Amino acid sequence: MPRPIDLLQGTLDLLILKTLTWGPAHGYAVARWIEQLTGEVLRIGEGSLYPALHRLEERGMVESRWQLSETKRRAKTYRLTTLGRQQLRAESDTWAQFVKAVGKVLAATEQPA
Amino acid sequence: MSDSWLRYLNFWRRDPRRDVDDEIRFHIEMRVRDLVARGMASDEARRIAQRDFGDAQAVRAETLRIDERMLRRERRGEWRSAIVRDARVGLRSLRKSPVFAATAVLCAALGIGVTAAVVSAAYAILVRPLPYRDADRLVAMYGANPARGIKGSNISWPDFIAWRDDTRAFSAIGIWTWTSATLSGDGSEAERVDGAEVSANLFPILGVQPVIGRNFVADEETPGHNHEVLLSDRLWRRRFGAEKGLVGKTITIDGRAYTVVGVMPPNFNFPDRGDVWVPFSTTAADEAHGNRGYAGAIGRLAPGATLATARADFHRIDANLERAFPDENFGWHADLVPMRDDLVGDLKQPLKVFLGAVALVLLLVCANVANLMLARGATRGREMAIRSAMGASRTRIAGQLFTESLLISAFGGLAGIAIAWLGVRLLKFGFPDQVPPFFISLKLEPLTLAVIAAVTLITGLLFGLIPAFRVAKVDVNSALRDGSRGAGDGAHRSQLRRTLVVVEIALSVVLAVGAMLLVRSYRNLAGTDLGFSEHGVLSARIYLPEASYPTRAHSAAFFGGLLERLRQLPGVTAVGSAQGIPFSGWNVQTNVNIEGDPPPRRGEELEPHFQLVTPDYFKAIGVGLVRGRWFTPADRDSLAPVALVNERMVAQHFGGRDPIGRRLRLGPGSPWATIVGVIRDFRHYRLPQPMAPAVYYPYAARPSRQQTIVIRTGGDPNALVPSLRAAVREIDPNVALQQVQTFDEAVSRSLWRQRLQSNVLSIFAALSLGLACLGLYGVISYAVAQRTRELGVRVALGATRRNVLMLVFGESGRLVLSGVAVGLTAAYFSARILRTLLYGVEATDVPTFAFVAGVLGVISLVAAAIPARRAARVDPIVAMRAD
Repeated sequence: MPRPIDLLQGTLDLLILKTLTWGPAHGYAVARWIEQLTGEVLRIGEGSLYPALHRLEERGMVESRWQLSETKRRAKTYRLTTLGRQQLRAESDTWAQFVKAVGKVLAATEQPA
Repeated sequence: MSDSWLRYLNFWRRDPRRDVDDEIRFHIEMRVRDLVARGMASDEARRIAQRDFGDAQAVRAETLRIDERMLRRERRGEWRSAIVRDARVGLRSLRKSPVFAATAVLCAALGIGVTAAVVSAAYAILVRPLPYRDADRLVAMYGANPARGIKGSNISWPDFIAWRDDTRAFSAIGIWTWTSATLSGDGSEAERVDGAEVSANLFPILGVQPVIGRNFVADEETPGHNHEVLLSDRLWRRRFGAEKGLVGKTITIDGRAYTVVGVMPPNFNFPDRGDVWVPFSTTAADEAHGNRGYAGAIGRLAPGATLATARADFHRIDANLERAFPDENFGWHADLVPMRDDLVGDLKQPLKVFLGAVALVLLLVCANVANLMLARGATRGREMAIRSAMGASRTRIAGQLFTESLLISAFGGLAGIAIAWLGVRLLKFGFPDQVPPFFISLKLEPLTLAVIAAVTLITGLLFGLIPAFRVAKVDVNSALRDGSRGAGDGAHRSQLRRTLVVVEIALSVVLAVGAMLLVRSYRNLAGTDLGFSEHGVLSARIYLPEASYPTRAHSAAFFGGLLERLRQLPGVTAVGSAQGIPFSGWNVQTNVNIEGDPPPRRGEELEPHFQLVTPDYFKAIGVGLVRGRWFTPADRDSLAPVALVNERMVAQHFGGRDPIGRRLRLGPGSPWATIVGVIRDFRHYRLPQPMAPAVYYPYAARPSRQQTIVIRTGGDPNALVPSLRAAVREIDPNVALQQVQTFDEAVSRSLWRQRLQSNVLSIFAALSLGLACLGLYGVISYAVAQRTRELGVRVALGATRRNVLMLVFGESGRLVLSGVAVGLTAAYFSARILRTLLYGVEATDVPTFAFVAGVLGVISLVAAAIPARRAARVDPIVAMRAD
């Protein structure tokens, strides 16, 4: 099992927004998906997911609704808003550029002139 | 999902605490379930789930904080958007009926503005403390002799001393008298200013200290030590350039050197204007018991004393004086008046009337606003029913009506404040020379404005909400099915509006009657035959300084020379002089014995008005001779003088018989004077005071230093002013002119209070009449609009235009008649309070009442004619198709 990496600030928001592109989900589902997809490399303190979700809701990136879960329990489900979708697109680009730039540096073989 | 579930969920949505707990619990339990499904023991699974979740308390707290913040913002947003929405809807619906909106706003604005301005003025005059320390403890003292009808007269020095030394009700009493002073010799043109002689304790009694220098000291009341002067801040700045070093130096007053001992604070005035104050001092002659030559006294009530105890105290002292000096003090006693009443004087009565009128106007405005709101509400029954049917809650409908009323009130209030602000600024034009007396500072009273605005606005809001209450009761279905346009105005409410119109008409009748009576009084006064001719006459007062004009001969030479010069001026037809001109307040009376008459009984002495005049004085003011001859320049014998009397003197004291050749004298010991002529009566005293018997002596027989010059010209009297000044300057540059004015100005100024009364009440009456017409118009218009269908049916069934017109007019007529009847009755009883302000017209003057009733009736019916004509034009087909 690889050593878990602590999440970078702001990255959690990005991950939440991404998971919600597959459809509305409750907090537990979001947590499961992130865990499964990262092969448990990224460890999110499960609790910290909730302030992040609520903050996203406050900023209008997601909206919430109480529904009955598959187990017939009352669950709060979140859904991506248009604003959240735009935000995800913008943040994904930034992330890609960031990764590319860091990768370039790490792949470099020579000291720059 | 079932409907009931949704409602259940909605119900809980608004509890963030519960939501957060549920969400976290759900997470943990799902996790436990998954772990158990993988084969873990349930205790172990719960432990792991809780460990992986982390600090649940911290998560819960933070999440809750975010949710609560969110909720707060949301609620605020909802409020704001509801208000904005209501305001927008309100504005839109007001824009749809601009006439209603403009009328309601204007009505509220005028009501608030006019009444707040007048009440502010009344506050400034009657309530705001005088600019003295504890001014409500200050009492002004004058003389009174009820048996002879004398009140507020001058006092004598010995009486003052007795009051001052024997009183237990006052902590201190000071004496003062009018004076005026000629300033000269400092490089500027000689100038005559008003002022007073004051005892050293007077300003300390008022509680006022000079800002520079000191008050007078008791020692300075002795003749010889009294050449000290206190200056007003105004004079010190204007004439002496605010020079601090002036205190301690001497200035020239009436040709003598006076030491400036101090400068009074800015805005200090005593007795009601004045720029110089000198110490009060007396000589032995001044101190005689019968010499009532001093303007008055001012006292400060001792702690615990009241005006009533002070009056009782003075009654005791006066009784002692009367016993000790039966000749001089018979019937005389002190007249004690609170200082404010003394200053406010004649203004108090009209102010009370104004306040009463203001209350009526305000009532009328409220009635009208209520009426407008009701009328509007009535036409909107159907709209409200539709809203209600479409799911608007009663609170929402009420909220909306409230917002609409609030909008009208807000606009009305703002415009009202503007009008009040402007009104207070215009008030000063009501005073002579546009300068209110010093103790009146005209300012808008915020509290007054607030109360009046609140009364008007609350009326608007209350009556604006009535339709909302009605919605609560109305059955939506029947309201919508109801064919009539207004969805049935309840008979009850319709009655309320009719009553309001009757009240409005009645109130305006009362105001119109009051205004009419005052206007007629003013007209009567202004139209009084003055007996002299005020056009084309210029006058100016001259007081010669004693230092350079010590003897009668000096004075006679100066005035003789001046009159001669003035006579040469182009356009001048007559020049004369007297001690005081008509309306100047020079109302001196003197004791006269007629030769051959028995000595008068005590208290019945003959005291006609007395003046020293030059030969052409009466010609200059345009008074005619009834019989005998005028004075001539030769009438200068002071030992065997001649005299003129007026018609009233002849009628009252010579039994109407020819007095020429008869003799009279000014009290025992003075020489007998032969009457040589009788002049026509003229109004020397200010209107409305009637003229008294009068005796005139030639100036040349007893020349004095004080005369008022009168010049009659064929041209513009004001054009003579420069020549007059030049003439005086050529003879003596140290002599100053005072009160240079035309007779027209003097007469007009003397009637300012009556003019103010009649103007203010006329404005009120016009305003109220307009409002009442508006109310009537509104009610009739509405009634016609409501009955369009009915009228259409009538026309279809053969009613003529005339029938319809008469039907509508009949309804208006009933309202107008009731209003006028109620109004006339109310006016009959309330006009009595005007009695003291009226002149030449009875408070129950029938022509005035009839005139007002007629005018109001006609104007009201004209207001009703517009909707009546509309009714008469009703096309039966259109009318019956109308919803």
